[in-house]
Amino acid sequence: MRSYTKSIFFRSLLIPAMLGLFCSPLFAQQSGDSRPNIVLIVTDDMGYADIGAFGGEIATPNIDALADDGVRFTNFYTHASCSPTRSMLLSGVDTHLNGLGNMSEWIAPNQKGEPGYEGNLNHDVVTLPALLKQSGYHTYMVGKWHLGKDPDKIPAARGFERDFSLLDGGGNYWGMMNVSANSPRLVFTEDGRYLTSLPDDYYATRTYTDKMIDYIETNRGDGKPFFAYVAHQAPHDPYHLPRDERNGHVAAYDKGWDVVRRERLDRQIELGIMPADTQLSERMWFVPDPTTLAAMPRAVLGKKMELYADLVVNLDGHIGRLIDYLKEIGEYDNTIFIVFGDNGAEGTDLFNMIAGTPGTRDFLWAAINWSQTDPHAWGDPGSFVGYGPMWAQVSMTPFSQYKGWMAEGGIRNALIVSGPVVNREAGSINHGFMHVADIMPTLLDVAGTAYPDSVEGRPLPAMVGSSWTGVLAGTADSPRTDDDYMGWELFGNRAIRQGDWKLRWQWRPFGTGEWELFNLADDPGERVDLAASKPERLDEMYGLWEDYVAANNVIVPSRSVFESLEDQLPPRFPDDPGFPPLIYKRQFVPPGDMLAPPTGNR
Amino acid sequence: MKILIQMIAKIRPWIIVAVVLGMFGSTVASAQVPPRFYWKTLQGTNAVPVIAMSASGNSNPLDQSNVFDPSASVSADIAIAGFAKIMPFWNKAGMLAVLLPMGRIEGDFLAGGSASSGFGDPMVEFNINLIGPPPIMNLPDMLRYEPGFSLDLVVDVAFPLGQYDNTQSLNLGQNRWYGRIGTPMIWQIGPWIPDRRTTLEVFPSVWFFGDNDDFVGQNLSSDPTFELEAHLTRNFTSKIWGSLDATYTSSGDATIASAPTPGSDMTLAGFTLGYQLNDNMQLTFGYKSTLNNDAASNDLQMSTFMISLTTGWHRLLEGAGRLSGGG
Repeated sequence: MRSYTKSIFFRSLLIPAMLGLFCSPLFAQQSGDSRPNIVLIVTDDMGYADIGAFGGEIATPNIDALADDGVRFTNFYTHASCSPTRSMLLSGVDTHLNGLGNMSEWIAPNQKGEPGYEGNLNHDVVTLPALLKQSGYHTYMVGKWHLGKDPDKIPAARGFERDFSLLDGGGNYWGMMNVSANSPRLVFTEDGRYLTSLPDDYYATRTYTDKMIDYIETNRGDGKPFFAYVAHQAPHDPYHLPRDERNGHVAAYDKGWDVVRRERLDRQIELGIMPADTQLSERMWFVPDPTTLAAMPRAVLGKKMELYADLVVNLDGHIGRLIDYLKEIGEYDNTIFIVFGDNGAEGTDLFNMIAGTPGTRDFLWAAINWSQTDPHAWGDPGSFVGYGPMWAQVSMTPFSQYKGWMAEGGIRNALIVSGPVVNREAGSINHGFMHVADIMPTLLDVAGTAYPDSVEGRPLPAMVGSSWTGVLAGTADSPRTDDDYMGWELFGNRAIRQGDWKLRWQWRPFGTGEWELFNLADDPGERVDLAASKPERLDEMYGLWEDYVAANNVIVPSRSVFESLEDQLPPRFPDDPGFPPLIYKRQFVPPGDMLAPPTGNR
Repeated sequence: MKILIQMIAKIRPWIIVAVVLGMFGSTVASAQVPPRFYWKTLQGTNAVPVIAMSASGNSNPLDQSNVFDPSASVSADIAIAGFAKIMPFWNKAGMLAVLLPMGRIEGDFLAGGSASSGFGDPMVEFNINLIGPPPIMNLPDMLRYEPGFSLDLVVDVAFPLGQYDNTQSLNLGQNRWYGRIGTPMIWQIGPWIPDRRTTLEVFPSVWFFGDNDDFVGQNLSSDPTFELEAHLTRNFTSKIWGSLDATYTSSGDATIASAPTPGSDMTLAGFTLGYQLNDNMQLTFGYKSTLNNDAASNDLQMSTFMISLTTGWHRLLEGAGRLSGGG
């Protein structure tokens, strides 16, 4: 509890200081009706290194332009999966208290019925849109919700004045057809009503953008600022994309994941995103060296990445449409943009997990509705393409592992903030330790409103984040001191970060089944477990874990989605580059002057 | 690695399917090229088509100049065997094929009753793509292949080596050199997905003929014949497809023993159905007929049934099949 309490204590000092800042010239425009608009763009499963501003080769000029106008944060953390991240984003409270102690799909027997483990955003917390609405903001949402489907859990019930929302965790971009036979239709709401159908020309990313522009336009000029939560479904799988936008990266990834990952890290170092001596995390042991593969598998697997890249380009284009609209109506300069991905990139084959077993109900459902497996159909309705663990590692360059895990590749993501609250050099990079739970206190500060102690007589749990107002104003480099820590637990995987140190426990074989210790300043790829060589540090970090558990109602699950993973994957061996030499040997070419035909014919 | 192998295994079937779909087309019939004949496939692929055809009408179905007798009654049962090699020429997709007809033909035609059997004239075809995607040199190329719009140049040459009896007016061989130049075109309509592939194919061509200096003891010369074929093809499933076929032919004038015989026009319509038996074999069935089959008509008439079986193979895919236990 000690450092965690310090964090709360620190914030209690910081908030009044930040509120004082609102009287400074920097925040003068935020008083009254001139408070800034807020556009909060959350992308789904987009990786740390996918966008150009973070070293990606994918063309994302619109997101990059926000980075050029604002500041990039390299040390930003989400949760390891989507709804836990979103719950912290919108409540500021730890997942084990806000209802997302586990995802609704995986609540363990020992968590069932426990407060904080409802699988949706519970009513023990108050939401960011509710408080912003109360303070005079218009509150709009489009896109993925994934925080509850019951009438008292939908966006309209949690503070959004207008919404067009997918209540599920993802799926079809073209319609309501779901992947699972158990719940065959995706559920959408619009302005608090459950939709019976979708617009005729529905395509998720386009429609979400159109709707948001419409909401803003409808109330434009009434003098109230707006909070726009743009929770894009993209680029979550399945990679659905209009046909004429699928050929932007033909053969671009035939060179294989190792080369692309190396190229991305080189650009990150050049940009200043990562230190010059950064080492890539090891290639996961069950992913082959692409140079050992024939051209065809490289092309097919590369085509999946091509489609993903095209999907990111499409997403960036629609974000650009929203930005252009705000420029057109003269609101861009008074709008804060916050852009990030909700968790690590997706390396798990979700489709196979759901529908991959012949004879099951979901398999037959998929056979009828989701069997467009030909590469020419990838992107169409009825196709389900995810890019696999090799490209997920590329998306998370230079980090280890991906979504669902507590390695950096599961929980660290790219963050961009721009707009009137940013008083740092345009295009600068910050390495402070940031967390998704910080956004709620930050935006409450921006709006000039406070987090209440209680709602309807119920005491509210404390927010766990720290406001970024000092960081954005340029008066601090991090919202945290080296003593502050943050904790994570999901599916039984656990982590604590304090300063440069990280403690983690993960299911085998992604983890060791033991506590591992890493120094992220020296080893962002988490290649070297220091648990044995730093026992004192390990104990200190474990103490923080115990504090975290006690303070946040953590119930480690008795069952997990990962409990049998070790039986499904090959034995784990370290990735030693160049081993075994056998598979890298080239044809021996003798000296030309020693060549000769055989003598005689026998 | 196991996960990756599973992923790759999932894609293997459509690779081979694509090869065979491209190859089935070697079902060259006597007068018209079947639909999808000029689809491209992996360079290096081999194919053996075997075609059985039954034709009836008032003309010799193996004579592309369409000399006809309004009162004639001709029937033919023809088999055509061939071999095709897909190979690039000057970095363009191409094909060389040889086709050998054989069978029997009989009927009352021009000078009287005729019946003959044996081999027909072998024909060699050279094809090169002029406009369209690059040649499919490897499997990644195949992965990315879509015809879009493509235009080929085709040159056919038939050698006068087939059975010929100068006492009969109906023969399997034509006793003269002949050939054709054409430019088959393919328009891809919609996505290139196996169970939805749709194309419009148009093939204008001109047949040229040498003289037959012993046509029942007379000299037969024919002016060029213009031919325009069209096919609207569509897959119903990944293994079953169909085509609506139409052919317009305008034959040039012919001269027999210095007596001019005016050319004739002919319009054929029909359909083709195709079914992929397995990764390497394709079965097709087709029927086509002239539109005017009135017995009292003086027009050229012809009806044909056709069934074909084409086997295609490529050493890379055959080897992969052996390694994976599939062959």
